[in-house]
Amino acid sequence: MSEEVLQDQEERGEVQRQNYSEKEKSEIFDTEFMPHVDSMYNFAYRLTFDEDDAKDLVQDTYLKAFRFINSFERGTNAKAWLFRILKNSFINEFRKKSKQPSKVDYNEVEQYYNSDDAGESITTDLRVETVQHMIGDEISGALNSIPVDFRTVIILSDLEGFTYEEMSKILDIPIGTVRSRLHRARNMLKEKLAAYAKEMGFNK
Amino acid sequence: MAEFSDWFKETFKRCYCEQGNLIDEKRFSEIVQLVLDNEADEESKAIFEEKIRTCVKSNFTFEKERSMREEIQNKLSTHNTEIPNDLAQTIRNSINL
Repeated sequence: MSEEVLQDQEERGEVQRQNYSEKEKSEIFDTEFMPHVDSMYNFAYRLTFDEDDAKDLVQDTYLKAFRFINSFERGTNAKAWLFRILKNSFINEFRKKSKQPSKVDYNEVEQYYNSDDAGESITTDLRVETVQHMIGDEISGALNSIPVDFRTVIILSDLEGFTYEEMSKILDIPIGTVRSRLHRARNMLKEKLAAYAKEMGFNK
Repeated sequence: MAEFSDWFKETFKRCYCEQGNLIDEKRFSEIVQLVLDNEADEESKAIFEEKIRTCVKSNFTFEKERSMREEIQNKLSTHNTEIPNDLAQTIRNSINL
């Protein structure tokens, strides 16, 4: 959620607005929000590829979370709520001023992967033994090279353990799209790993 | 999880020929993904488990996907970037906590 979206949601009464005391706000922040700071930073870093940018993005997310803390219902999924704010901040504000070159539009890529000839190009020539020979750095490199919208679903599912339903809320997409996008994302990752393995002669 | 019940049945049917042999491995890997992600409902899971128990090719595809997933997840999760020491404190300071 961008700041505007959070504001709009409050004004339109879409969220059950709480009325926490200053003490309660501080408790929620410390006990429900702060435990996720490491996951938030890792997510931000995997989106921005820059330590300073990741730090700024996480700080910005926590500032917004505190500012709109009355939109958060105590005891609900704080991690998903924070990830949603971070993802939207990245898309709506951060990506515009990012040092990264412009990203591929996922619709374009998704369209390609939906096309009839796409299946032909997806290689399944990747063996488990090949991946076992790789180090984390190489697999991270492959993940970082796929378009951000596909990378995001892999991070949320395989690294952060979110369910499809939670991912659907974080990303504002239907649950069926979560399933299909995740499948395509994993195929893309396998393709990258297979290409890398070939390049390095791992498959010989 | 019930959201994918119809999708599962339809997709599962298209993976096998009349004799019950796996003919579409690519489509089957989508089903494997749903099961490994723990998003299949109980009925779908039971159908799936029965199949991989009795079909060598299905079992092979499942095991390959599962091992690949575990290997990638393990390596990615141990390859996180270092968290700045002052991050938590900087956040607290910025909101005067």
